[in-house]
Amino acid sequence: MKEQKRIAIYGKGGIGKSSTASNVAAACADEGHRVMIIGCDPKSDSSITLLGGRRIPTILNLMRSGLDIKEEDVIFEGYNGVKCVEVGGPEPGIGCAGRGIIVAIQKLKKISKELEVADLIIYDVPGDIVCGGFVAPIRKGLVNEAYVLTSGEYMPLYAANNICRGLKKINTQLSGVICNSRNVSREEEIVRKFAEEIGSEMIAFIPKEQIVQDCERDGYSVMEKAPYSGIANVYRKLAHVIMSRDKAVMPDALEDERLRELTR
Amino acid sequence: MNTENISIIHPRPSSIVAALYTLRDLNVDVAILHGPPGCSFKHARLLEEDGIHVVTTALDDSGFVFGGHDDLVDLIKKVIDMFNPKLIGVVGTCASMIIGEELHEAVLEANPDIPVIEVEVHAGYRNNTKGVVFALESALDAGIIDEDEFERQKFLLEEATMVEKRHGAASREYLAPSRGDVKYTVAKRIIELLKAGKRGITIMNAKKETGYMFADITVAVTEIARQFGVEQKVVNMANLDETLGLPRVRHHAECILKDFKEHGIEIHEIIGGMDEYPIAGNVASKLIGEKYSDYDFAVITGVPHALPMENLSGMELISVTNGPRQVLPLKEMGHEHVIVEIDLHPKTLGVNHIVESEFGATLREVAKE
Ligand SMILES: Nc1ncnc2c1ncn2[C@@H]1O[C@H](COP(=O)(O)OP(=O)(O)OP(=O)(O)O)[C@@H](O)[C@H]1O
Ligand SMILES: [Mg+2]
Repeated sequence: MKEQKRIAIYGKGGIGKSSTASNVAAACADEGHRVMIIGCDPKSDSSITLLGGRRIPTILNLMRSGLDIKEEDVIFEGYNGVKCVEVGGPEPGIGCAGRGIIVAIQKLKKISKELEVADLIIYDVPGDIVCGGFVAPIRKGLVNEAYVLTSGEYMPLYAANNICRGLKKINTQLSGVICNSRNVSREEEIVRKFAEEIGSEMIAFIPKEQIVQDCERDGYSVMEKAPYSGIANVYRKLAHVIMSRDKAVMPDALEDERLRELTR
Repeated sequence: MNTENISIIHPRPSSIVAALYTLRDLNVDVAILHGPPGCSFKHARLLEEDGIHVVTTALDDSGFVFGGHDDLVDLIKKVIDMFNPKLIGVVGTCASMIIGEELHEAVLEANPDIPVIEVEVHAGYRNNTKGVVFALESALDAGIIDEDEFERQKFLLEEATMVEKRHGAASREYLAPSRGDVKYTVAKRIIELLKAGKRGITIMNAKKETGYMFADITVAVTEIARQFGVEQKVVNMANLDETLGLPRVRHHAECILKDFKEHGIEIHEIIGGMDEYPIAGNVASKLIGEKYSDYDFAVITGVPHALPMENLSGMELISVTNGPRQVLPLKEMGHEHVIVEIDLHPKTLGVNHIVESEFGATLREVAKE
């Protein structure tokens, strides 16, 4: 039996975690893997593009209504058999989304068989790890590989660097750095250098392409809507790397000064 | 000793509980705890004994995640229907405060036609008197107390905090609870002193309603002195000024004084109001220095550790506390005999007469021998 991959992609808010996660999920499903994506963001936007734009009931909303939740109430089949789950959460500014992730994940752990049988489980987490809840998937032992997504801009790198510091603090290794391009100068070089200096590796460079947003607007992943595009190939390659990757390191975050130098 | 930053590890009442008791003193009819079920339940139940309704929004995990605004609005409306209150209090808890619940918004939405005292408090304050201050500030805003009373209360709280830090439950990182000395032995000693014609002072320096039981010790000592014909050798002091404090607290002083009168017990010196236990000890100390410095013994009840030791040093000291963690500090201060009235507080809630104390009862029994 293949070893189960349980990954989380971290990175600055809005940098492209969800679209990368859903495209990788779709690409892996195309390869015949059994894939599950778990959206851990109260926005519940991780699986939309795998479900043709459809929104699914969230774990937390169902729990709130007091129902006795079963696996089939919260796991929905999307593109090419990808199992989609959304944790859900409160409106911005109310309650505690972090606690929500903890509660929902514990619930899912209890009711879900899929968690045990999937080949790849992707946890799509919100951008900023502002409290303990956002690292619950790692802390509760549900994630065994962490990736960082960044562009070559200073702020996303700064966030990525902080995340590395956080990963080390919670004793979690980093499996690789993914560059999601924002078309800045020397981008590939900067991110590759950053990855090396923290002790890791840049495992993919995803170009910035309008087609990603066009597909998203229609409610689809690139893999589904534009499988022959160049960027679909990039996602396919990334999916390959992730499925076969067994290297991980404890990242060493850079000093702020060094990070600035890198981006200059 | 730097007591500012020590982390106290023994159990103590929280700011939430302190806020609840303050609401009680402000005569609210209902206190709503906005938070998880079971928060502060033990004190909540005690307060029910004291005649106020305590209810909770009973937030569960969903409440933590999605907030409990609607639950609070509904509960405010519900208690108004159920209990027809004239004044209610809404108190925060750790859970509701951490997730940023706005008590005021819920009150606005429920729009009750009675005043509401909102207390945004959680248990994470080292000084639990914070809960009292927050409740009083809100009472001031709601027009329940005036500025003068607020300032007076605030001053007393600061003093109370200092007393606790100097010689009280906040004086050390850990204080082991103790049952204190054997009541029988100490009772015998007091009777011995009285029989020998020694001159004594009883000083009741009680915190609010706890006076209902500490007063019984004043009664017992006086009765026994009377029995032995030495009543004139005992001077009684008590913090029973009926004109000071919140209405409920003044009422306690009235009730206790009335009972004293019925027992024919004279209080020679009134040393302050029933909420002045942090400072009334200074008044007592001054009086002793001026008038009673050559007395032989003192029986100090309530908050004995608030009494400065200067003018007491020549006397044999017997103190009665209701805090098992107070025994050690009192011994260290130089009190020869320290007695604990275990579980005193619950017995003094919801009463308006003096309640028999274990030590009072022991004194009476031993006096018969
Ligand atoms: N390679 C790309 N080319 C073009 N657009 C992209 C690319 N990657 C992501 N985007 C677009 O960027 C926007 C933000 O992406 P996404 O929602 O995936 O970010 P995120 O990191 O998940 O954000 P959040 O932190 O809020 O969850 C989306 O509109 C997405 O389509
Ligand atoms: Mg996202």
